[in-house]
Amino acid sequence: MDALNRTLDIVWPARMMPYTGWALLMPALLLVGLLVLGLFQMADSSLHTLDRSTFLPSENYTLENYRTVVENATYGKIIWRSVLGAVLTVFFTLLLALPYSYIMVRTSSSAVRKVLLVTLFLPFFIGQVVRAYGLLIILGTTGVANNALGLVGVEPIRLLFNFPAVVFGLVQYMLPFAVLMLAPALTAIPRETETAAASLGANWLQSFRHVVIPMAKPGLIGAGLVVGTLALTDFAMPAMLGGGSQDFIANAIYDQFFRTADQGLGAALALMLVVLGSVFVAIVISIFGAGTLGMGGKK
Amino acid sequence: MHKPFTRRSVLRAGVATGGAALLASMPTRHVFAQEPEKPSEIIVRAWGGEWVEALKKGVSDRFTEMTGINVRHDLTEDNEIQPKLWAAVAQGRVPPIHVNWDTTTNATKSALRGVTEDLSDLANLANTTELAKPVGLEGYPIVNTYGYVYVLAYRPEAFPDGPPKSWRDLLDPKFKGRVALYNDGIGFHFPAQVAGGGSLDDIPDNMEPCWDFVREMKAQNPLLGEDPDFTTWFQNGEIDAACTISTNALAAKKNGVELAWTVPEEGCKFDTDCLWVPKNLPENEAYWAKQYVNLALSQESQQVWLDGLGLPGVVPGLTPPEGLENDPSYPTKPEDFKHLIRISSAVQVQNESDWFAKFKEIMQG
Repeated sequence: MDALNRTLDIVWPARMMPYTGWALLMPALLLVGLLVLGLFQMADSSLHTLDRSTFLPSENYTLENYRTVVENATYGKIIWRSVLGAVLTVFFTLLLALPYSYIMVRTSSSAVRKVLLVTLFLPFFIGQVVRAYGLLIILGTTGVANNALGLVGVEPIRLLFNFPAVVFGLVQYMLPFAVLMLAPALTAIPRETETAAASLGANWLQSFRHVVIPMAKPGLIGAGLVVGTLALTDFAMPAMLGGGSQDFIANAIYDQFFRTADQGLGAALALMLVVLGSVFVAIVISIFGAGTLGMGGKK
Repeated sequence: MHKPFTRRSVLRAGVATGGAALLASMPTRHVFAQEPEKPSEIIVRAWGGEWVEALKKGVSDRFTEMTGINVRHDLTEDNEIQPKLWAAVAQGRVPPIHVNWDTTTNATKSALRGVTEDLSDLANLANTTELAKPVGLEGYPIVNTYGYVYVLAYRPEAFPDGPPKSWRDLLDPKFKGRVALYNDGIGFHFPAQVAGGGSLDDIPDNMEPCWDFVREMKAQNPLLGEDPDFTTWFQNGEIDAACTISTNALAAKKNGVELAWTVPEEGCKFDTDCLWVPKNLPENEAYWAKQYVNLALSQESQQVWLDGLGLPGVVPGLTPPEGLENDPSYPTKPEDFKHLIRISSAVQVQNESDWFAKFKEIMQG
């Protein structure tokens, strides 16, 4: 231990103590700095149109790419679809995650808790693309779902390649994230508060609605933010389960960068996605307050 | 810009041409004894599945056998490698691959951007047909290696009255949700222009008939995907018909899917793929990358490679793969091209982005 202290004195002498906090923050600041640097480069790129005679960005600075995004009805539809998809994903994910987390936290049976944890983590270890591929197999025209419907005399129906399929895939993908964020919030609610509510005449449903949900609000908001931003920026589910006609903004960005080689337009779309995501987070925080997220702000 | 010949450039051209001639005529590893230093491997970007298997068998394995240089295949999509190559050349970095197997339209963009090595001195170019020459570009910044057709592939079971005669046959309500197109509409724009009542001469100035037909097709709720999707969708019984490259249909058929293909009366798009070498490679690696391209243009390599793909090459005298002689997807004679639609690369390069965007606009609606 002495040797460790001596080494520490050499590497980080006592006179540097006031800067310890900054030193600990430095790796995170560097990462964010790199991200901001990239954003500046993208902003610069977004102000140049593609010269199709040389396939190089034009010399002049222009807002033409932003005008294209604003005036093109396709991008309007794609942005609307992305926002709607994210909102629906948040709603359905939280709807499923809350009871799941609650049972996982409150159950007295360790076997049930283990089963729930394993069920939660098993798909968590599988990548998004593999999971989407699994859904393609399960929900396909000749997949398990249609085979089951066939047993009760229902003709095969198209379950894939539409907007509901994309939202379903997103909910399935996001559920573990939401449960993992909700579980600590629910654990922090003392059982005694529910007992107290019951002793005052509240049934389980009333207790859940008036005690558990309000007290779990930081977890719900945090999970909603994570699920919402991840769904808003998702690429794989719309690409694989949407059948090519249910693109989200990330798919449109991909198209510009990699299909038409128009990096300026892709950068403009990417920056608009960043703005959209930031506005989404800002609205949530302004409504519920930073304190709701446990950040010590105004409650 | 005109560059005067220097003693060094003349010597280099002489060495390259001599080396290429040797490679073409004497397939032993000893012929390269006096050539530039060999890298341990070269990296060739390729499409996966049947595509890379055919390239490996026809070109890469032969190249390794002849030179001792291993060939690694990078299966990054052609559209995804493009910005990486452009960025590498722009930043003066060594590009991530040695040879790019690319669509001619994409490769033309790279050539226009000036990131491709000149391939004019490849010895085997002397034995190629006109198809090998890129249109609208000076010299050979890229070399076309074969042609292909975006056929109408279909499940015969779904067409009991015989093959579809027209692209309009796909508008039958029974095919709602059962037709697949590429997600950017590639291969479909030109026949759609005809099926929509327009003329090919109006491309690119008036494509409204094309978009009218695409709108009619949109009402059919088609699936939109990439090459591997078509094979999967046919195999899983998701679709009855698709506008796809004949190689994909052939692959599905080889995998046991009952499938046929046809060229409807409006025609099908004919296009080419190519090989090119990016700039900024170390001199010796660029040399061997060019030799790889040269080998791909030899009759022996073309025969094996294109047997695997079921496509017509750019070297005369190739034997069509079994069952593909006189097939509409394997055009070799002038009359075979009568129902195939060829639009110049220059027009495609200039307008492709707009066509993709318009197709997306309709399909995303």
